[in-house]
Amino acid sequence: MLLILCPHCGPRNADEFSFGGELVPRPGPDPGPEAWRNYLYTKENLAGWEGEQWFHLSGCRRFLEVERHTITNEIRSVRDVTEDTA
Amino acid sequence: MTAHRMPVQPGEVIDRSDIRRFSWNGRRVSGFGGDTVASALAASGVSVFSRSFKYHRPRGILTADHHDPNLFVQVGDEPNVRAGHRLVEEAMVVEAQNAWPSLRFDLRSANRLVGRFLTPGFYYKTFMGPRPLRPRYQRVLRRFGAGGTVGDAATHVHSQKRYAHPDVLVAGGGPAGMAAAIAAAATGARVLLVEEDHQLGGHLRYAGDATLGLLAELRDVVAATDNIEVLADAVVAGRYDHNWVAVVHRDGAREQLIKARVKCLVVAAGKIERPFVFEGNDLPGVMLSGAVLRLANLWAVAPGSRAVVVTANESGDSVVECLERGGVAVAEVVDLRTTGRRLVRARGRRRVEEVEVTGGRRIEADLLVTAVGWTTATSLLNMAGDRPIYHPAAARFLPGSLPDDVMATGGIVGDGSPDQIIAHGRAIGTEAGRRALRRASELALLTPRALAPSPVPAGEAAEIPHLEPADHPEIFAGPTDGFVDFSEDIRGKDLALAAAEGYDSIELSKRYTTATMGPIQGKLEAVNAVAIHAAATGATIAGTGTTTWRPPYAPVTLGALAGGDDDPVRRSPMHDWHVEHGATPLLAGQWIRPDHYGDPSAEVGNTRTNVGIVDVSPLGKIDLRGADVSRLLEFVLINRWSKLAVGRVRYGAMCAEDGVVLDDGVTARLAEDRYYMTTTSSGAGRVWNWLDEWLQTFFPSWDVRMTAVTDGYAAINVAGPASRRLLERLVEGVDLSRDAFGYLHARTGTVAGVAECILLRIGFTGELSFELHVPAGFGLHVWKSLLDAGADLGVAPFGIEAQRIMRLEKGHLIVGQDTDGLTKANAAALGWAVKTSKPDFAGRPELVWEGESGPERMLVAVQPVDPQLVPPEACQIVDGATIVGRITSSRKSPTLKRGICLALVDAELAGPGTSLAIRLPDGSKAAARVMEHHAHFDPEGERLRG
Amino acid sequence: MTTRGPIARYSAFSLIKQSLTGQRWSRVWRHHDLQPSYDVVIVGGGVHGLATAYYLARNHGITNVAVIEKSYLGSGGSGRNTAIVRSNYLTPEGSAFYDRSIKLYEHLADELNFNVMFEQRGHMTLAHSDSSLRTMHWRAEVNKMAGIDSDVIGPPDIKRLAPAIDVSNRPRYPILGALWHPPGGIVRHDAVVWGYARAADRLGVHIHQQTEVTAIDVTAGAVTGVQTSGGRISTPVVVNCTAGWSSLVSALAGVRLPITTRPLQAAVTEPVQPILNPVVVSGSLHVYLSQTARGELVFGASVDPFSSYSARGSLEFAEGLAGHVLELMPSLSKMRLLRQWSGLCDMTPDFGPIIGMTPVAGFYVDVGWGTYGFKAAPVAGEQTAQLLATGVVPDLIAPFSLDRFGRGDLTAEKGAAAVGH
Repeated sequence: MLLILCPHCGPRNADEFSFGGELVPRPGPDPGPEAWRNYLYTKENLAGWEGEQWFHLSGCRRFLEVERHTITNEIRSVRDVTEDTA
Repeated sequence: MTAHRMPVQPGEVIDRSDIRRFSWNGRRVSGFGGDTVASALAASGVSVFSRSFKYHRPRGILTADHHDPNLFVQVGDEPNVRAGHRLVEEAMVVEAQNAWPSLRFDLRSANRLVGRFLTPGFYYKTFMGPRPLRPRYQRVLRRFGAGGTVGDAATHVHSQKRYAHPDVLVAGGGPAGMAAAIAAAATGARVLLVEEDHQLGGHLRYAGDATLGLLAELRDVVAATDNIEVLADAVVAGRYDHNWVAVVHRDGAREQLIKARVKCLVVAAGKIERPFVFEGNDLPGVMLSGAVLRLANLWAVAPGSRAVVVTANESGDSVVECLERGGVAVAEVVDLRTTGRRLVRARGRRRVEEVEVTGGRRIEADLLVTAVGWTTATSLLNMAGDRPIYHPAAARFLPGSLPDDVMATGGIVGDGSPDQIIAHGRAIGTEAGRRALRRASELALLTPRALAPSPVPAGEAAEIPHLEPADHPEIFAGPTDGFVDFSEDIRGKDLALAAAEGYDSIELSKRYTTATMGPIQGKLEAVNAVAIHAAATGATIAGTGTTTWRPPYAPVTLGALAGGDDDPVRRSPMHDWHVEHGATPLLAGQWIRPDHYGDPSAEVGNTRTNVGIVDVSPLGKIDLRGADVSRLLEFVLINRWSKLAVGRVRYGAMCAEDGVVLDDGVTARLAEDRYYMTTTSSGAGRVWNWLDEWLQTFFPSWDVRMTAVTDGYAAINVAGPASRRLLERLVEGVDLSRDAFGYLHARTGTVAGVAECILLRIGFTGELSFELHVPAGFGLHVWKSLLDAGADLGVAPFGIEAQRIMRLEKGHLIVGQDTDGLTKANAAALGWAVKTSKPDFAGRPELVWEGESGPERMLVAVQPVDPQLVPPEACQIVDGATIVGRITSSRKSPTLKRGICLALVDAELAGPGTSLAIRLPDGSKAAARVMEHHAHFDPEGERLRG
Repeated sequence: MTTRGPIARYSAFSLIKQSLTGQRWSRVWRHHDLQPSYDVVIVGGGVHGLATAYYLARNHGITNVAVIEKSYLGSGGSGRNTAIVRSNYLTPEGSAFYDRSIKLYEHLADELNFNVMFEQRGHMTLAHSDSSLRTMHWRAEVNKMAGIDSDVIGPPDIKRLAPAIDVSNRPRYPILGALWHPPGGIVRHDAVVWGYARAADRLGVHIHQQTEVTAIDVTAGAVTGVQTSGGRISTPVVVNCTAGWSSLVSALAGVRLPITTRPLQAAVTEPVQPILNPVVVSGSLHVYLSQTARGELVFGASVDPFSSYSARGSLEFAEGLAGHVLELMPSLSKMRLLRQWSGLCDMTPDFGPIIGMTPVAGFYVDVGWGTYGFKAAPVAGEQTAQLLATGVVPDLIAPFSLDRFGRGDLTAEKGAAAVGH
């Protein structure tokens, strides 16, 4: 069970959160099919540090941006998506 | 009972005044309180405890502890009980496993005769013959499987789980572990000390009189320390990511799972003694030195009468002393550290009778004790990412490198006098306490909004004394071959044969031979297997490496893992009323809902004729307030929302970014800045999260405040021609007339004296209907009031089934039933709602493209030509052998007295009047046609506008 | 007396002969030096890569083939799955594809002269809700049209086929019915790996273990070779048959995939006497189980809730699994979980595999198998081999091309993914 340091709630078990996957920017209005379907489907699927989204579903219900190492599961930063990087 | 019991021993753990009678294979036997099943049976003269897995050879005590592979027994309806660990209880029913018809006379030991053919992987090479015979081979092979018996009616036991948050968890309560716990506690850390055996002490308990004083001293200090919690007869089963640690506290078959988030884990799991590989090494009467020390010192059991001791270390030396003191003759000591004699083989039928040493000399003996070295119990360290390294000088694997939050002490890292081991444990404990407190301050620093600051511990890292692993000769196998893996019946030559065949890495060898894959999971045999594999492949032990230890460290009952966890049940405020009135329950996700009250068709009839009420409380409900709510609705819903007037309600559908329909529902504008959204029952959580996601990640500056109020409101749909007349009797402050409160309007008002109710004129059933959303605490009151006030109007409740029938008569879709994971809005026949003129909304590009190219499939209403036919849902619509669609919903319509359906069909078949062929489950085909309107009933909607 | 060579063919007779004479078995596969060039280089020595190599050699006579494995054969998903085989998929294309796989599995022991121990004990998917029962009917109807033995059965039949299952109203989610698929069953997974490897080796394929692909050389949009830890290989054709690392291997050729890698966990209990014959699956409870010939119960669940390349097990998996198993079979509460492990699954957006050509000429993929890779291996190998040999995409794999995502034309298996395995 991973421990996620929620900036609002403190250290919490990962089962309080829902995983949102790697961060993929949304294309602007009227994208072509290639850009749009890359956004929908294509993944970097990095083996290493990954910026990803987690939702503190059973806590503060805030969306968080988490940097996690996808091999070791180590987490090195967590911030609310609406806040700038500290 | 007393046959093999020695006089009182200073460290014995039995209570000789507490006599416990139990049965062993139907025979009455007894032991003392504190006896294990194995020690009690050994004291009663039992030497054969089980039959081996493959060859059904008789097996006896090997290690006399939890990990003894030969001591698996059946206790009542509990299989695979460790007789070396389980304490005897009065009236216990104990039976041997894997022996048929009896332990003494095992028919399957015929396997021994053909044993020479049962080389590793023999089953891969044969039993291939005629295919029709294979199931028979398979049934025969299964009958030879190992293990105890589970009956279909075995009782279900479990304990509630527990969480723990120790600063330091010490795995292992031997001298090093106890010292570590004491020292960690002295730093102010809260400590959980976990010991697998029934008492703290580790090997000090049975090492002889000299250390008993020290043991008592350590136990006293532990007991007197407030911030140490001791769990004996408990095991640290696993260490998972971020120091999440599973502890299993045993109590017979009832085990409790304790989940601990540990700031620093100290592993003091000690050493496990290795068996020696030689011919006859599995005969009852061949024991490891630890088994003899335990049997004699803890339970005062004489393990034999005349012994040969083969020793390469102090443990073996102390056995000689121990046996002599206990009156067991030591016929011969074979010291492997000095040149000269070697053990060749042991002989005997059902137990050791003679031991052969080099030179062909045979010594009569009924006990052969070996002490040839150790395996380090690094399992928990491996789970923390450590790869143990082989040290030839110590002839064992030792920890490599550990993460900051895991430390190790005791026999797992080295050897020494009790004082040296305690000093090491103490230093590790101090450092573990310091690291734990440092971690606490780190956590506080990283989450300052949630945690109060925690002081940074003062001082430098504690100095850890070096605990040097003692030199030990590298002894794994003797000049003859014997068993490496007792659980799996694997010999040394089997491993050599596998290597010669090409299974030349240790992992391949393990998989091919199954060595180390039995219930002991390699604890005893892993190093021997590696050594023999290395010798066979010409590699070094270090280069061969060891197989991966996987959790759990020791097997855990499913009952403990399951605990009492259960999914929550959700009930509406009117639930009890439904039950009292004979409703048939319907499980819908976590909700339990009334499916019907006896006759759904009659419920439909009454609703269409008079008035019916249905409990729709599980609908998702979201209260939205703020200046930007309409912008949010414009974005997450496919249709237009900016011009919705106050007091109006509108249907809306929501699509994911791939255009696939996610959910639907109605949203009302109750005031300038206040909206009220309903969602499907199953989609309630998903929609709430979806809105939050867009708001937080995409539109953080928008003024929208969102509250999920699903449980805050009970919801009742009042439907039918008399619904207005009924409500006129109960509603205050709202003009219910057709002109004042028309279809798709919303009001707030008082219902049956309950203020702040929301009234929506919507019609899933197709009737004139009002949906009442009332504060949940008054749900039952309003429900009963409706029934009381409308008795003369024929009001009656209806259930989910009647609602489903009526919505199907009206052709209203259910997301997830009439749509699937690929159905986009146009295919769901919601094209009319898609407003691609909006510059952006979730899923827009896909819906634009779907609109341009036209959907591949289309949801249509279908009626079988034969009115009596109701094709079951999921029937395929076919064109010859090709699937061209499927029935998504179907019912017999009580109103139309015929079968009606919704179906997803290929777009070219969606035109009204198209003939379709439905393939019924029996393979026959039925003709049907596509209808002009989705609504089978009242397509113009006159009733719901009424 | 003449010197006899090692015994090559497996049979009861040769087993007895070997035991009596001590004559050696021939090596299951041989070691070769890495050649400077091969006609085809297959990345990944799991069951997909080895099957592809075998069918290339056997069906198409293409034998100058190297299988490159960074660890030992079968060290990835091939040796970590729960070895369940079935063909009762939701879509016609899925059913047809897996039906072919079952047919190949049925004859694999004879064909490879290696007993893969395919036990067709039947496969039962339980339904605990109206909606899942509806999906079971849907699958049964699609399967029946493809001629696959698959039908919905009620609680009495469930009880008869698997008496340990509690079909009463006691559980939180009582059992309403099940999809019953008699041809489904379990296979000894490692044996499939070794059987294909041995047969491919006999046909001339080179197997290189402990050799890692570090780069894929692409010139002017076409593959020219691969760099490995053992040296460079010149080749016009590279097939990515990996699982868990498929994104990373494809990235070496500059091909991005719609894949996220998630661990899938499994566990095994201590052995007990036979208590369960068929394979039992509950989609709603996210659990599937079977009892091996050795008496162990093998359990699997759904993929982990977050992506990871870590193959460590988690406690919450074991807890959830035990809870769900005891919901189905409360009598198992005193059985003990012996070992848990995990493998890596490459999940695609529509839960269908990606098999076929890529934008880079000569670079092929056979990836994205999610949780279905093992059961698909024979047919995937056979069809991939055919594609490589003929250059024409076979019908059975046409629905699973990489470019379907760009076209937005996903496979319909997505609809029923939640009730899979």
